[in-house]
Amino acid sequence: MADVPSRIEVRDLTLMYGHETVLDALSLPIPRGKVTVLAGPNGCGKSTLLRAIRRLHTGQKGQIFLDAVDIASLGAKELARQIGLLAQNPSAPPDMTVEELVRLGRYPHQAMLQPWSEKDGVAVNRAMAGTGVTGLKTRRIGSLSGGQLQRAWIAMVLAQETDVICLDEPVNHLDMAHQLDCLDLVSQLNREDGRTIVLVLHDLNLAARYADQLVFVHEGRVRALGQPEELMKPELLAEVFEVDAAIMTDPVHGRPICIPRGRARAAVQERA
Amino acid sequence: MSTLAIAAPAGRRLGISAIVLIILALFVLLVLAGIAFGSTWLPLEKVARVILGGGEKTEKLVVWQLRMPRVAAAGIAGAAIAFSGYLLQRITRNELASPGVLGVVDGAALGVVLFLAIFSNESNALTVPVAWQPLAAAIGALTAISLVFILSGRQSSSAIRLLLFGIAIAAVAKALTTVFMLVGPIYQAAQAARWLAGAVNAISWSEIQIMALCLVPTVIVAAWLAKDLPPADLDDVSSRSIGLNLPVYRIAVFFVAAVLTSIAVAFVGGVGFLGLIAPHLARLLVGRARFAGIVASCLLGAMMLIGADLLVRVAFTPLEVPAGTVTAIVGAPYFLFLLMRKDKTNG
Repeated sequence: MADVPSRIEVRDLTLMYGHETVLDALSLPIPRGKVTVLAGPNGCGKSTLLRAIRRLHTGQKGQIFLDAVDIASLGAKELARQIGLLAQNPSAPPDMTVEELVRLGRYPHQAMLQPWSEKDGVAVNRAMAGTGVTGLKTRRIGSLSGGQLQRAWIAMVLAQETDVICLDEPVNHLDMAHQLDCLDLVSQLNREDGRTIVLVLHDLNLAARYADQLVFVHEGRVRALGQPEELMKPELLAEVFEVDAAIMTDPVHGRPICIPRGRARAAVQERA
Repeated sequence: MSTLAIAAPAGRRLGISAIVLIILALFVLLVLAGIAFGSTWLPLEKVARVILGGGEKTEKLVVWQLRMPRVAAAGIAGAAIAFSGYLLQRITRNELASPGVLGVVDGAALGVVLFLAIFSNESNALTVPVAWQPLAAAIGALTAISLVFILSGRQSSSAIRLLLFGIAIAAVAKALTTVFMLVGPIYQAAQAARWLAGAVNAISWSEIQIMALCLVPTVIVAAWLAKDLPPADLDDVSSRSIGLNLPVYRIAVFFVAAVLTSIAVAFVGGVGFLGLIAPHLARLLVGRARFAGIVASCLLGAMMLIGADLLVRVAFTPLEVPAGTVTAIVGAPYFLFLLMRKDKTNG
């Protein structure tokens, strides 16, 4: 993976909330055209990192390069044409229609004097078709089910036509079938369109299944990164997630899966 | 739900245009009625003749000098306050937001009361022309909104913070206004009370001209800002990630909304609840459509103030009850209704 030039390069990123250090001189390469999954325990800074990559925090120190260009030098709309982000708990007015929402994804492409072009319409239709919400386009946001809503939001991000797409815990409130729907869709965007995907996922087994590059974030730093097989190790899981887990290979996908036995504190002490 | 939602967009747009046209027609009728009614009744055909340049001398006097200024002032100010309320409700994503909660109206009131206290002599007469009163109101309003921004400091990008500081500043301004009215001379208290309640009866064409001249550039800026309202409908993270510089944009909208209201209340007084009800009603009638929503808000705001002024002229003659009293009497129950309905949907 080292010879592939990084799409995004995070360098010495530090972020404080008051006196609390959330990200501590964190550096991270995000390879082009791959799925990178950020994982870590609650409060480790993974969601903050994702938002920082999209430059959504004020007072972040350090640099983020997008193809060797410091994103601090890009304008708000310019950056929005390069990196899309689906928020963790996005909200829109309940009486907004799905199509209205998806059309908002074209906002960064609109100049002051040429408001809506044919190209925008094509992008919106493609995004809705790709996420299967074309049939829902006149429905109001407030009337959608959880799975439909999430697809509508992904369509909005897709309409933005960015090469990099960040998703912050996109499957959080979804049932198992919709979780797979959502992640398969994201995976397809990566495999078919070659887009660079950065995901924050809570479920380690889903993370291991969908990641090309898995990143363990711990106490504001990158503790480890690599292929899922390299990272899914009992010692590492004990250290980062404080669980005592057995690692097996998923017989269907050949990816590592972990089965936690319990909290790791006892296990760590025994070994020490 | 789904059958309701699946309406053809073209059909809905037609419906919205029709509603806006109906509101416009009612507005024109109300303007004519505002000129026709008063201490003496002027038939509509005479009103039309005078407006078109004809009519007798006394009719001309009544129409152009006595009634038209009131209707024009009420209409312009009502529309400006409603536009301001529309912007605030949209940018805060809260239908209970209004210019009043930003401290603008109470700040203007304090300005007026201070003006009356400072510039009156022992015999209770003003030492400067009363024409300066609007300026005092505008200074008060802008001071209040500036304080809100300064105090909320780095948090001023958060809508809820701004509203909370606005409410606090409004409360302080209101308390000080009361104090000055209590310790001030009687004449001054009466004059201030009239302004506080909102009154368009004494306005002149030259004042209307100044008000309109101040409003034109503000409305242009507001309309230009309004084109970015749809992305701001989303949550903060989403609106910023599609490329809207939300912190800056939000402050700009708040400021322009405050200026719109400042200009209006400086001339017609503290008309309560207009900025809350008009945009809310507009939203009920035309939905989320932005252009139609702004036009409907402005027309409804204008109609409410013209209607309130008309009502006090006809119902309470020869007593001149301030028009703001009527908007408050109608507005307060509506506000309560909103609060109660919101509770129901939340729980």
